[in-house]
Amino acid sequence: MRTTLRTRRAALAIVAVGALALSGCGDDKKSEDKPGGGKDTGAAETVELPKLDGQTLEVSAVWSGPEEKNFKAVLAEFEKRTGAKVNYLSTGDNTATVLGTRIEGGKPPNVSFLPQVGVLQQFAERGWVKPLGPEAIKQLDKNFSKGWKELGAYEGKQYGVYAKAANKSLVWYNTEGFETAGISEPPADWKGFVETAQTLSDAGWPAVSIGGQDGWTLTDWFENIYLSQAGPEKYDQLAKHEIKWTDPSVKQALTTLAELWGKDDLIAGGAEGALRTEFPKSVTQTFSGDTPAAMVFEGDFVAANINADTDAKLGEDADVFKFPAVGAESPVVSAGDVATILKDGEGSQALITFLASKDAAEIWVAQGGVLSPNKSVDMAKYKDGITREIAQALLDAGDDFRFDMSDQAPAAFGGTKGQGMWKGLQDFLKNPSDVEGLQQQLESAAAKAYKG
Amino acid sequence: MSDSSAASEFSGPTEPSAATKQPKEPESQAQAATASSGPPKRSLASRLATRSAGGVLRVFLILTALFWLTPAVGLLVSSFREPEDMTASGWWTVLSKPADLTTRAYSTLLENDEITDALLNTVWITVPSTLGVVVIGAMAGYAFAWMDFKGRDWWFVAVVAMLVVPIQIALIPLARLFGDIGVFGTIGGPILFHIGFGLPFAVFLLRNFFAEIPRELLEAARLDGAGEVRLFFTVVMPLAGPALASLAIFQFLWVWNDLLVALVFTTTDSQPLTVALIRETRAFSQNIETLAPGAFLSLVIPLAVFFAFQRQFVSGVMAGAVK
Amino acid sequence: MSTPAVSAGAAGAAGGPPAKPRKSVLGTRPWVVVLFLLPALVMLGALVVYPIGYSVWRSLYDETGDGFVGLGNYGDVFSDDATFTALKNTAIWVAVAPALVTGLGLIFAVLTERVRWQTAFKMIIFMPMAISMLAAGIIFRLVYEADPDQGVANAVVVGVHDTFVESTAYPKANAPNWSDMEGPRAKGPYTTKSTVSAGDPVLLPLVGIPPDKVPGDPGPAKAAEASGEEITGTVWLDFQKGGGGEKGAVDAAERALPGVKVEAVKDGSVVASTTSGDDGTFALPKEAEGAQLRLPASNFGAAYNGLDWLGPTLVTPAVIGAYAWMWAGFAMVLIAAGLAGVDRNLLEAARVDGANEWQVFRKVTVPLLAPVLVVVFVTLMINVMKIFDLVYVIAPEPVQDDANVLALQLYLVAFGPRADYGLGSAIAIVLFILVLPVMIINIRRLRKERRL
Repeated sequence: MRTTLRTRRAALAIVAVGALALSGCGDDKKSEDKPGGGKDTGAAETVELPKLDGQTLEVSAVWSGPEEKNFKAVLAEFEKRTGAKVNYLSTGDNTATVLGTRIEGGKPPNVSFLPQVGVLQQFAERGWVKPLGPEAIKQLDKNFSKGWKELGAYEGKQYGVYAKAANKSLVWYNTEGFETAGISEPPADWKGFVETAQTLSDAGWPAVSIGGQDGWTLTDWFENIYLSQAGPEKYDQLAKHEIKWTDPSVKQALTTLAELWGKDDLIAGGAEGALRTEFPKSVTQTFSGDTPAAMVFEGDFVAANINADTDAKLGEDADVFKFPAVGAESPVVSAGDVATILKDGEGSQALITFLASKDAAEIWVAQGGVLSPNKSVDMAKYKDGITREIAQALLDAGDDFRFDMSDQAPAAFGGTKGQGMWKGLQDFLKNPSDVEGLQQQLESAAAKAYKG
Repeated sequence: MSDSSAASEFSGPTEPSAATKQPKEPESQAQAATASSGPPKRSLASRLATRSAGGVLRVFLILTALFWLTPAVGLLVSSFREPEDMTASGWWTVLSKPADLTTRAYSTLLENDEITDALLNTVWITVPSTLGVVVIGAMAGYAFAWMDFKGRDWWFVAVVAMLVVPIQIALIPLARLFGDIGVFGTIGGPILFHIGFGLPFAVFLLRNFFAEIPRELLEAARLDGAGEVRLFFTVVMPLAGPALASLAIFQFLWVWNDLLVALVFTTTDSQPLTVALIRETRAFSQNIETLAPGAFLSLVIPLAVFFAFQRQFVSGVMAGAVK
Repeated sequence: MSTPAVSAGAAGAAGGPPAKPRKSVLGTRPWVVVLFLLPALVMLGALVVYPIGYSVWRSLYDETGDGFVGLGNYGDVFSDDATFTALKNTAIWVAVAPALVTGLGLIFAVLTERVRWQTAFKMIIFMPMAISMLAAGIIFRLVYEADPDQGVANAVVVGVHDTFVESTAYPKANAPNWSDMEGPRAKGPYTTKSTVSAGDPVLLPLVGIPPDKVPGDPGPAKAAEASGEEITGTVWLDFQKGGGGEKGAVDAAERALPGVKVEAVKDGSVVASTTSGDDGTFALPKEAEGAQLRLPASNFGAAYNGLDWLGPTLVTPAVIGAYAWMWAGFAMVLIAAGLAGVDRNLLEAARVDGANEWQVFRKVTVPLLAPVLVVVFVTLMINVMKIFDLVYVIAPEPVQDDANVLALQLYLVAFGPRADYGLGSAIAIVLFILVLPVMIINIRRLRKERRL
């Protein structure tokens, strides 16, 4: 049972708060009154579900609080259509332990959302997850692109549905900072990005805020640069450790990264300050305080954090642009939660079929703060414009997006505090001149982790 | 056995619980010492030296006390500040303008379901584990003290040996066991765990206490026709009040303040306050508006117990510190 | 040697007559014995004894529990980097913390002995024993916050530092890339590449200060006029709000930077120096002809921000400090109780013999207290071996590895993403073995005193 929870956890904690804030503004009263989304109740049903009266199902995920509430709106619709009762189990931080002990005790939940690709594969290997039935596959074929489907498969069998996604290739910026520095256009490529940062710094704004205390934000920097610069094929190879971390392409990406990280004055608080900054603080110090920073890089969930912890208005005080292209194209690095069946049965299959459907996705995105990789979703159902744009960017990437590399790697390498990629990139932020030393360090850590 | 003599059970010659009584004792002893054997004619110089040394000592102690209080006062003051102020200036700046204090962080905290649920969970975990340890421990302690059975002393040695077993050793096995019997992720997990690891101390403490009950007392009760069970509940338990109180206070604190056990065995629905708060520490400076009042909320009850039951508290904590 | 747990119960026994063999009161029926003992024995068996056995067995298997690895996991305790660091740190804790806390307790106990208000003092010192390590951890996270405007520790350090060292005028101001100056970014000194001559005013543009937040709110800059005799020039902020203006030229809206020290350097030695005026202009005597101008670092150095308490080097001492805060009261109360039992006549006899207070303390008091000191010391030692919460709460993620201790590593390895129950069990057994000697000594001692 290896899971890389850290990434999710931090992100979720925020999304949880943020979703509340998101739903706190605007027309959310309506959706609260009618869980399941007012508009959807009358909409044509695109998926057929069996009658499951009297059955009780259990579904688990890491979400709690407002995020849990949003997801329960989806479950409520399922209950209404099938007559089954669905209990939700929030595993919190303990997914690995909770599922592991439940499975060993012979009482796993029917359906469980797993936070990483690596976990899905590990579970599949141990026979803990059950293959999807034909109905679910039909929905999957209809609504999901090949890339997302493959992420839910293992050795030719389909095990999971990515019902919820994250787009981790975004740079959020403080519009006041851009105005003060006289920057009218967000940069489109890496060179422009570094120049923009320099201009901002000249204007007296801390240019880039980095939440280096959370190792995962740093690995996301590297992954975006590497995907854009070395291309998807190399990215896949590196993710599977088919090429070594001492590969020249890694060196090139790290050297590129050092163009920014090597300039202490471009980083809010300097590298040392960044290493003391947690992800949420990296957002708030960009959009609030006496000397806010100008830009902060991370996924769509930043929006939730801006809403919850700052007074900045999305679209006015805070805006977003795509991660600059380092090579030919802008990267799209994604992450997501995959729904899997841990206990087979008619009810489990029906629930996962529903989760793969257009109907479920539309109810979910209407709650706000959620991205769906489901391509059949009517974009108009998204609750706010910015989320809609981000979702669009994710869908536009088609199958060229790549899943977060550190989430694919064995946990010891890609998702453990003080180890592997997290530790390596934190060391690199401290000392960006030692590219080769870092490559060696990463390679030896990877060699150990991928073998074990 | 009267209340006071029971209390003295915990304040033998080298016994820590004397702490609360000490204020009088050592001082009067010291005075007595100087009065009886103190040199009657000390030189003026030496008296002056003693006096100024006393002044220095006093200042030193006052400074130390302030130094000791500062961290906690920092938390307390922080919990009464606006979140924006907290990131802008240090809590000590408030000392000059106390008007800026507000209870808003507390009202926000108490409106947060996650925190209030967690507080309730703390209570639901703490109360049964305390009662369980006291009752089960008292029964076993009595059996070891007054019942005859084969290998009694060896059994007791075995129980005492468990006193220092680190709780860490049971985390992995019990995660599995609790998964098997379906209590994993419920408050049942920490309750069982704390009872299990509270028992060796409880049995040891109470057995030695019960052993001191005068035999005649029990025999008289027995002659009056009381059965062994009735004897235990009507005669022995009431006598053991102070010992039970010390045990209960120690166990209560231990469970209330526990983080590790709850961290492993609970999920979001069953987590106690300590676990709910540790999640917030991930983004420390960000969540200080929850953490400061939350931490204060979690420590106010132990502190209240501390002030209300100082004697039992000190003896309980002292005696159980080995855990 | 006994622990407080033992001495507490012991006191119960010691108060009365020596324990004599007790017979049950009028014979107990076997079912009553079972009734009274069974709950405790079942609980202890299932929750304490069984786990010890299971852990021993489990520690011989790999992380999934399928492969037998013999003593491999124990080898990992020493070869796995993170675990070995934890082991080393635990050793540091054991070496330092018990001695420190016992020492503090002894000092407090002795010093308060004759003070009238010792109850109040002892109460204050003892109070932290009541609160959880989590709360204490939060309290000290706050104390050690890096920002001197938040953490009281750094506020004090910075306060002391700034009393002796003057702060700089324009921290972090930077020489822009369009200027003629070069030097370490955002630090200074900045030196002109070319030499200066009278009649050719020098432009020394600086950036990196927000135009609306220039310290002292100076007026607009003035371009220095040429003078036949002197070397003239201007130091100003070459950036205006919203960008714009000509780079490298003194524009109307741009502010002066008064009070900047300007040095003329020839062959490495300063030949003349001056300070810029209210309009940013300065003049140097003709000795400066042909020199390079330098803006020394004393103008720009970043403000002193105190110590990095929670950085890799200081984190363990910092956490030990928090531990001492919690436990000094425990040591003090136990030692004070011991002190109360010390025979005053012995002390007085020593004084009469001409010993000074220090000699009395060292030669008489401490030896008399030795048994209590040993009890305190051993208790703390056991306690410190199992320290978990304080480290987990206080050490921020990037340094968690530097602050790691065995009990924390056990948690991270077994219940973190690694989910390695094999190594986790091995660490648990190591912890158990470390406390075994104390268990054995306790039992032997108690048996000798016939309390068992």
